[in-house]
Amino acid sequence: MSPSFGMIHIYWFVLPLVLAISLVYSASRHEAWSRIWIHAFRLCTWILGLLVLTTVVLLLINTQV
Amino acid sequence: MAEPTVSLRNPRKAAFLAWLVPGLGHIYQGRVGKGILYAVCILSLYTIGFVIGEGKIVYWRWTNPMNNPDKFPIYYLGQFFVGLPALPALIQGTLRYFFGIENFLGGFMAEPPIRELNGLQPRLGKLVEIASMYTAVAGLLNILAIYDAYEGPAYSFEEDHEAAKSDAKSVAEGSTVGNAINGLNAEAQT
Repeated sequence: MSPSFGMIHIYWFVLPLVLAISLVYSASRHEAWSRIWIHAFRLCTWILGLLVLTTVVLLLINTQV
Repeated sequence: MAEPTVSLRNPRKAAFLAWLVPGLGHIYQGRVGKGILYAVCILSLYTIGFVIGEGKIVYWRWTNPMNNPDKFPIYYLGQFFVGLPALPALIQGTLRYFFGIENFLGGFMAEPPIRELNGLQPRLGKLVEIASMYTAVAGLLNILAIYDAYEGPAYSFEEDHEAAKSDAKSVAEGSTVGNAINGLNAEAQT
């Protein structure tokens, strides 16, 4: 099994997780599909944006110490 | 929370079905699309995690977490809520602890021997944590789905459509204001 998974960089495993969390959370809030997609897209963008920002900040700090 | 305008049929039965198989409770309520969405998202996460962990990261062991915190399989608390796909682990753990039965169903989803568990980390590294997290998060997400099957969505169809209308209206107004400002700027330039 794992040789194929082992070749994927560990950061990429965040994507399916964030996608599933966004979709399930949005679906639990809304009943209309248009609202579910919009909410899921916004939530996904927010989470990924914050993760990228945090990673960049930590990376900058780590390269200075 | 708004009164649900969708038919929840028998909410308790729907919640039980939603726990048993992610999405099944919604399909029972006639919310087929949502049921499929939940099933795809939750079961995909669980399956990916299960496969990455070589089927050895979903298991249950009856142990007192206060006396033996290192041996307590904490991820199973989340995995349990995936329902049927994680249930054999609980059955295996119960049969082993209370009845001494070791090889039920060929040991499918039974607690792996300690040497196998110890061998996972050096071989798979971080993937063990990722696999455990995927399966546990899948279960936690199913709690949201179970709650949705029991209580209905936070916003009804009507509220969603009202919000969509108000969004469209504000966009239209925004463009009108934008046009007016552009017109004023053009006038000022002349």
